[in-house]
Amino acid sequence: MGVWSQVVGQPDAVRVLGTAAVAARGLVDGTGTAAGMTHAWLFTGPPGSGRSVAARAFAAALQCTTPGEPGCGECQGCHTSMSGTHADVRMVVPEGLSISVAEMRALVQTSARRPTGGRWQVVIITDADRLTEGAANALLKAVEEPPARTVFLLCAPSDHPDDVSVTIRSRCRAIALRTPAAPAIAEVLRLRDGVDTDTAAWAASVSGGHVGRARRLATDPAARDRRAKVLRIPLHLRRLSDVFDCADDLVKAAETDASEVSGTRDEAERDALKTALGHGGTGKGAASATRGSAGAIKELEKRQKSRATRTQRDALDLALVDLAGFYRDVLVTHAGASVALNHPDHAEGSAQAAGSWTPESTLRRLEAVLACREALEQNVKPRIAIEAMVSAMHFG
Amino acid sequence: MKIRVERDGLADAVAWVARSLPSRPPVPVLGGVLLDAGATDGSEGLTVSGFDYEVSATVGVPATVADGGRTLVSGRLLADITKSLPAQPVEISVDGSRVAIACGSAKFSLPTMPVEDYPQLPAMPQHAGELAGEVFGQAVSQVAVAAGKDDTLPMLTGVRVEMTGEKLTLVATDRFRLAMREFEWKPSGDVEDAAVLVPARTLADAAKALGSAGRSVELALSPTDGLLGLSGSGRRTTSRLLDAEFPRYRQLLPSEQTSSAIIGVAPLVEAIKRVSLVADRGTQVRLEFADGVLRLSAGGDDEGSAEEELPVEFTGEPVMIAFNPGYLQDGLAALHADRAELSFTTPNRPALIKPVNADGEVTPGYLYLLMPVRLPG
Ligand SMILES: [Zn+2]
Repeated sequence: MGVWSQVVGQPDAVRVLGTAAVAARGLVDGTGTAAGMTHAWLFTGPPGSGRSVAARAFAAALQCTTPGEPGCGECQGCHTSMSGTHADVRMVVPEGLSISVAEMRALVQTSARRPTGGRWQVVIITDADRLTEGAANALLKAVEEPPARTVFLLCAPSDHPDDVSVTIRSRCRAIALRTPAAPAIAEVLRLRDGVDTDTAAWAASVSGGHVGRARRLATDPAARDRRAKVLRIPLHLRRLSDVFDCADDLVKAAETDASEVSGTRDEAERDALKTALGHGGTGKGAASATRGSAGAIKELEKRQKSRATRTQRDALDLALVDLAGFYRDVLVTHAGASVALNHPDHAEGSAQAAGSWTPESTLRRLEAVLACREALEQNVKPRIAIEAMVSAMHFG
Repeated sequence: MKIRVERDGLADAVAWVARSLPSRPPVPVLGGVLLDAGATDGSEGLTVSGFDYEVSATVGVPATVADGGRTLVSGRLLADITKSLPAQPVEISVDGSRVAIACGSAKFSLPTMPVEDYPQLPAMPQHAGELAGEVFGQAVSQVAVAAGKDDTLPMLTGVRVEMTGEKLTLVATDRFRLAMREFEWKPSGDVEDAAVLVPARTLADAAKALGSAGRSVELALSPTDGLLGLSGSGRRTTSRLLDAEFPRYRQLLPSEQTSSAIIGVAPLVEAIKRVSLVADRGTQVRLEFADGVLRLSAGGDDEGSAEEELPVEFTGEPVMIAFNPGYLQDGLAALHADRAELSFTTPNRPALIKPVNADGEVTPGYLYLLMPVRLPG
């Protein structure tokens, strides 16, 4: 399977990127001209649409060594680009909430190197919306006058286009990813993750177009339970005391979700680093090789911790998106419109709610959820924001 | 993989490769050394390689290969184990996800790392020529001192390597000073004249690693590749090149001089150190040359001042000029000579510093150009 199969439900983007990769190859082997290839790209799209996956796939196609259509997915160039170890593909993933100037300066230095493999030096910045002003300035200089064989791939969520400065945006060719359609998500769940047809279709239909979310729901029963628990909240807010219990449930569900995502990943990363630094050997004196590795491991743990904060935020946001979806379903039912529901499997609940609430009060509930998402983005303490929201959901 | 290899060759190879591995690898596989037996490049035996995306290091070791293959293990762990092995043949074999090492009665087992995720090692560019290791090592250190350290100006963080027929030129500048070394070498004739920009730090490390006395160093380079290859004594390294425009420096070199001084390097360095102690943050040291005497001074009225005089062989118009003391000392130290010639045009034009031999003659091939700082008032 080629690298493009990882880019779910984005036929237009894949066509554009595939054409550019062919042009790029022509430039490298001397059969083509500079036309058709661009030095800076901006991938935008809603959360879960696969911005950084698309950027990686494009990077792989640029490094692919197999003749034919670039991006075979099998050669060492493709494989190491996708696994994040290719010498000429550097990825900046901000672990915290912003990308520092120091990180960006190092990147500018990297981007000034000629590629080791004779193809392209690719620099991927997964969350260009989180560049600090200083970092954006450092980057701008490099993007304005890129070396002949350097390509910048910036990724940013499409709901905040202003977070990437106009000057940087104006230098980039835009790739706008859309919310992948449910059938495309279902297909990739079946083919890549081996999920059965029914579960795949169900998970795709309730994921709101978020590929990662769909995969979790399809493969992890505990995640399915947590979603059901969250979606039960709107109809179970009978007494004022329910507010605090439900707020608690919501925060806990998100925390559990996040720690399960982080837990497996963190452990695998820690094991890989420890092995690299000399742990796990047996024989007389082999243990001494681990001396001096504590610092690097601590540094990794620190990075993981700040990433966990982010993961927790994202998990909470996904729960809020689920809730907002539910209230939208209620509004749709009020209006009698024949639109696909966000949660078709909770149609009974949204119909019941539509029968007992006025459209106005449903709207106020929906607005409370949206206000809460915004508050969390402004760094309001989660529990405080959530309690305010749940109490608004209770009173309607 | 199943091989048998001599202990010393293996331990040396692993130690040399492991020393260039990053202590905090950005991705875990870069903390590994790649063992490749019955290697893919067609050579018999074992190759030991390391790579940090910037520099790759590879050594070939003679080995009896029963079973070829590739595996990746922690460089740190393997270096620690191999250096303590007894002087007996070493058997290395891969068994599932572990590597077994047996040597005499000593037995070790190491976890492997995912070799399929290891980045493609850069291919060695075409052989361009060779030169004596100690000449190369010294030349690089003499020039790298002037390279910039500001990462936001990549073109100034490199050493420019120019191959022009029988002549090799190394140059670096950070805009405040420029160091240039020219010398003869033996070009292979297979590679056209070229000029490339190598990151100063990696070139200095590679030169140090290969530039041992009595050995020759081979340069591999092709204008279209993004790499400089250096090899010697069975060791090979590649360094990535900078893709940046080096300043046009030849026009900076003064074509005339109005005065020059010859002076002992050690007494001058000592005097600069003492005098500049009083200057706030070592901002500048003033040099006043007149017949037979150099007066050094630093500081002003309000911060205390210091003065010293040294004997000097001076010819030309008297001159008063000021420098950053650190840059001046860097240049004097890079000469590797007992005496130096300093030559001037005017106090606001760059000065040139060159080594002087025992006969009082300038030794050709090296120069250190230093921008003066503005004199007060
Ligand atoms: Zn490929």
